[in-house]
This record gives sequence, structure tokens and C-alpha cells, in this order.
Amino acid sequence: MSIVTEKFSTVESVRLGLKDVGYIATKQIAHTVYLAFHLGKPILVEGPAGVGKTELSKAAASFMGVPLIRLQCYEGLDESKALYEWKYGKQLLYTQLLKDKLNRIIEGETSLAESIDRLHQYDDIFFSPQFLEPRPLLKALQEKDGAVLLVDEVDKSDDEFEAFLLEILSDFQVSIPEIGTIEATSRPFVFLTSNSTRELGEALRRRCLHLYISFPDQKLEREIVRTRVPGISERLTGQLVSFIHQVRKLDIKKLPSVSETIDWAKTLVLLHAENLDRDLVRETLNTFLKAQEDIRITEEKLHTLTEHALREAT
Amino acid sequence: MDRILENFITTLRRSGVRVSVAETMDALRAAELSGYGDRGALKDFLAASLAKSLLEKKMFEVCFRHFFAIDDVVGEDFPIENTPTPPAVQGTAFLTQAFLAGDGGGLTLAFNEAAGRVDIGSIQSPTQKGLYMQRIFQELGLESLDRDIQRLTEEGGQEALAQARFLEVMRDNLIARVRNLIERQLELYARRRSEELSEGYMRSARLSALEERDLARIHRLVQKMVKQLKDRYSRRQKAARRGHLDFKKTLRQSVTYGGLPFDIRWKSKKMERPEIVAICDVSRSVSNVVRFFLLILYSLNEAISRIRSFTFCSNLVEVSHLFEKYPLIEALARLKSGAGLPILMNRTDYGISLCDFRDQYSDCLTKRTTVIILGDARNNYWNPRTEALRFIAERCKRLIWLNPETPSLWGSGDSEMEAYLPYCTMARECNTLGHLEKVVEYLLRKN
Repeated sequence: MSIVTEKFSTVESVRLGLKDVGYIATKQIAHTVYLAFHLGKPILVEGPAGVGKTELSKAAASFMGVPLIRLQCYEGLDESKALYEWKYGKQLLYTQLLKDKLNRIIEGETSLAESIDRLHQYDDIFFSPQFLEPRPLLKALQEKDGAVLLVDEVDKSDDEFEAFLLEILSDFQVSIPEIGTIEATSRPFVFLTSNSTRELGEALRRRCLHLYISFPDQKLEREIVRTRVPGISERLTGQLVSFIHQVRKLDIKKLPSVSETIDWAKTLVLLHAENLDRDLVRETLNTFLKAQEDIRITEEKLHTLTEHALREAT
Repeated sequence: MDRILENFITTLRRSGVRVSVAETMDALRAAELSGYGDRGALKDFLAASLAKSLLEKKMFEVCFRHFFAIDDVVGEDFPIENTPTPPAVQGTAFLTQAFLAGDGGGLTLAFNEAAGRVDIGSIQSPTQKGLYMQRIFQELGLESLDRDIQRLTEEGGQEALAQARFLEVMRDNLIARVRNLIERQLELYARRRSEELSEGYMRSARLSALEERDLARIHRLVQKMVKQLKDRYSRRQKAARRGHLDFKKTLRQSVTYGGLPFDIRWKSKKMERPEIVAICDVSRSVSNVVRFFLLILYSLNEAISRIRSFTFCSNLVEVSHLFEKYPLIEALARLKSGAGLPILMNRTDYGISLCDFRDQYSDCLTKRTTVIILGDARNNYWNPRTEALRFIAERCKRLIWLNPETPSLWGSGDSEMEAYLPYCTMARECNTLGHLEKVVEYLLRKN
């Protein structure tokens, strides 16, 4: 753990550490991650789709050198899928295998009550940790050297699950009736992400640190593209980032995200493009615009957008 | 230093950011980690631990900028570096000593304390500027500084004169800074009061301030109501039924295991999503509350996905699509005027409207549906057609009638409320938020 603590000694070391694993963090992100580590609090990350919310936790996991345990939320997610389940199959198989043994144990007992009494001496055997199937939440608690727990799209889960999550996030322990309370050996570093499809409960918000990631500015996005797409020229990076930023100002349904900028950059590199030009852009629009209506709107302004991007990048 | 944070959190709270005690503790620890030296870090740390949504983040931003600007007034560059060599500092005044000793930190502290003692936070109008300035000067002991300057000038001699000039410069500097501080404070606190602060965020919805507040409350109440409807089938209920063995299911399951009741099944209630059908009167007789009704309708639509909404006057039309298509204000206007809808805005006819619903939309009624009718049941002496309401009541889970009139008026004149009453699971007076709250509470009690 001391190595991890060392990694978190300053904000700058966090920022650089994240950069080493390929995540370009703004000051704000680095600050929040640093703070969350020192306060031992979960981070609730919000922001438009595709700005790197999930990516942040992945980067944090590899930066800390601990496993990433991911829990994808969806409507109807419940404890047995998130926390633990009994291995029914294994339990059944074992009872069958041990049939003789069981018979021998209750041999000699004459009445039913006595047999049951005898069996009661062993009753918890089939409900021991060996028969427990840990699901993400329990797994995160059991990791000896800590883990990064990502609760993805928590807004998609039900209210009840959110309440249940509160319980775990505050104590980092769960109680399993048959076994007892399991406490985290070392507290996992928790990220929750939300796309605001549903307003999250006040209680959950209050319990987390809050980080809002918006679209990066041009300088940062250029840096991101350079890191994620090796071999792209400086000029092209400038042009395409400038273009994307203009598109984000248009009135379209779905704004292109950072991941789509990267996709586009990769496409352009594959096509050996040196400069943006209108035809090239028109042919590759669909890598970052995913609605026909959006493509139409952008195509109409293609000329001015491209000109502006070329001008801005020089 | 904690006092600064405390003041800051008070400012935040006044601006409408909800800050809990636990969060205050977080902020304290965060501030300890960052210190007050690095503004950027301090801001990010506090933002992460205090502002928990995008809206709160924006308010935080404004508050932070204004609040910590006070510190900057003194904290940043108090140019004391070219202090004249201070051989014999005769001045007794604190300010004289601090200036001559180049004690920037002490000045900052004194400045903050003075500002705190005069309670600068309660400044409310520009006419108070002079007053607060005088008070701060008093606290800082500007008078004795003046006296020192006077004395030094009278004393003569190159050194004393140099000191006096330096002190004069510093004094003017200080006065400017105090004025600056008061201006900023005024901006911060007065803006907070005049709701200008929130205007920026609410601009998208151009409701009057009062309605905006009401809407937020309606939203909360409706959400509570919806949650309560959902909760009937929630975790707690499921857990409560855990003790009930589902014998039939267990037996059926045991066939797989050679007759051993190995996989035990418990009785559980099926989860249901609430389904709501809302029917709203938009006629003239309810014109004073129709906006309120529509706000409820709008909130319901935002809160629940499986909802169908209808409005009626002389006939009934479905309006569910309007809520998706238009922002709040436009939707309200369209609903109220009936623009672009095949609705007849003549005299209200509950009978026809209910029959319309029965004939065209009764397929949306299931055993799980809750029907909410918002209206005064004033039917202009037409046929109430209670059989249509009966038809609806028989096919839904419950029928809630929210009437803007007090129960004593029900059935008077052309009100057909008494005729409709037997078919309602619940009928309540509802024309203020208080009433709506009561309805929700009633629903809560029922469980």
C-alpha cells in the first residue's frame, strides 16, 4: 500500500502517473482523484457521453497497479448479481457425492428427530465461503491489495439498488446471513459514473466527491489525440481538433465525443491524410457523427468549417 | 483558517447549494490538504467535496470567485518590499508597524479579522458602503496611522519624511483595497438576494421566480408521489414476503433434484412499474389553477416513463407527445391554449370527454394503472355520463380525483362531483402545493 501512497504524494505525481498510463487529466481531474484518495471517498463522475468517465477509472487502476472491478448497472440489477450468490450447482453436486457419507452419519439414529439433530451438527457446511460466488461488489471488498471499483452508469439502476449501494459505500462491509460480516481488507477506490438519465438520490451524491468532466479545450484534446494516436502529424491534429470543436458548437443531436475524435484521427492516419480537405471530411464524417440528421447539418456547413479549421491550425 | 471556510460554506448555503455537516468535514480535510496558498487546488478540492451537481458547480464557481477575491485584495501582492530602512520606528499604531516591518501576513490577518468583526457579509445596499468603510478603518486603526504620518511629517528630517511618504502611499493603497473589498462584497451578497445569481441557470425556462420555485417543489412532491407508487413493490416489501414458502414452486423444482426439496422457492410479489394515466381539465372554469395542474402533469411526465396524458375541455385529446417535443414553457402554453391540438375549447363537457376516453383510449387501462383526474367536475348541466367513469374505475387499479374546489362546494350548482365520487378510490381538494403535499402524505399513510 505504501507504494500506492507514494504515487499519491502530490497532485502533480497523480497527473503524471495518469499520463504515463495514457490518460491526459486536467488539473481538476487530478485534484479530485488526489483528494478522493486522501479522504478515502468515492468519486461520482458526471459529464456528457464519451468524455472519458469510464476511461478515468481504468487509468486509475493501472496507475495504482491494482485490478479494476467493474459493475455495469442496468434496470433490475439486484444484490445477487452485484454482491454474492450461492453456488447452487456445487452445493447440489456435493450433497450427491457425499450421500454415502451423510447416510453413515445418520446411521444408527432411530428416529427422524435424532437424524436431524445429528445433521444439525454439520449444518453450515454447505453455506460456507467455499460455496459463495462473489460478485463485483464483494470481490472488490475481498481484494487484499485494494482495487478500483467502477460502478458504471449508476443512474441506470433502480432506486432500491442505489440505497443498497449507500450501505456498502459508507461502511465498506457487507453482512451475509449464513457467514457473518465481511469487511474490506483494504478499501477499494470507488468510481461511480452517471449520464444523468435519472436524477441520482441526494444521499448518494452527498456521500461522494463530485467530478464533472466536460469536453476538453483544444489544447488538451490535441494532447489526448497525440497520446492515443501515435504517428499523427502536429498539423493534422490541430486541424481535426479545431474542426471537432466547431462541430460541437453546432445545433446537432449528438455531439462528437473525445473517443470519436480519436476514432476520426485513427481513420485519417490510416488514410495517410496530411491535411483536412472537404472531400476527405465528407467521406469520413460518419466516424464521429452517428445520426443522419447531424451529418446533413454538418455537410451544409462543411466548407466554412473546413476553411476555419485550416486557418486556425496554422 | 477554519473560520474562513466556515464563512465560505455559509455563503454557499445562502446561494442555494446544500451543504451537509459531513461535507463540511470533508471540506475541512480537503482544505487542510491543499492549504490556502494554491488557489487552483483549493478551488478544485472544495468543488469536489461541496458542490455535487452541475448546477451546484456553477453556483460554487460564482461564490468562490467572489468570496476568495476578498483574500486576494490583501493576500496577493501587498507591495511592502521597498520598505525604507526602519531605524527608529516611533509609530505606535499597528498599521504603522506592520507597514514598516513589511508584515504582509499580519496585515492579511488583521484585514480579515476587521472585515469579520464589522460583519461585512451583511452589507445589503450601496448606501451602506461609506458606513462599512468607516467601520473597517476604525477596526484597523487608520486614525492612529494618520496621526503617525502627521507626527513624522512634523518631525522633519529626511528619514522621517521618507517614512511618512511611504506610509501615505500604503495608506492610499489600503483605502483602495478596502473600497474594492466592499464593492465585491456588495456584489456578492446583494446579487444573492436579488436572485440574479440564479437567473443565469434558470434562463432556459423563463418562468417567473415564484413559479420557478413552485415548480421545483412540485417536482419534488411529484417525484415523492411516484416513488411511493413504485415503492409498493420495492425491496422492503419483497423482503417482508421472504418468510412465505412457495410450496407449489418448491415441489415443482424438487422434481429436478430427485424429489429432494433442495432449491427452496419463496413467495415473492411481482415487481410492477407504476402506470399512470393523467386526465386534466383545461377549461375556463379552472383557468386559475390550470397552470398548476399542467405543471403537475409536466412533472409527472418527466418522472415516469410509462404515462399517458390527456387534456379535455369539450372533448378529450391525448397530449403525451407534447411533453417530449417542447420545453416546459412552450408545452404549457400549447396545452393551455390548445394550439395545434384537435381540442374544442367550448363549454366543458365531462360526459363527452369521459366517453371519448372510454371509447378511444380504454386500451391503456390495465389492472396496474393509476388514473389521476384533475378537474372541478363542473359540467354545465350536461349529462355527467357516470357510466363512463364507472367503466374506467372498474378497469384500473385506482382512480384519484384531484379537485380544485373545497369539498363543501362539491355537488353545488353544475358540479357533478357527488355523482362521480362513488367511483373514485380517492378524491381530494387540491389547489395549492400544501394540498398536493397532503395528497402525497395520504398516499404514504395508506401503505
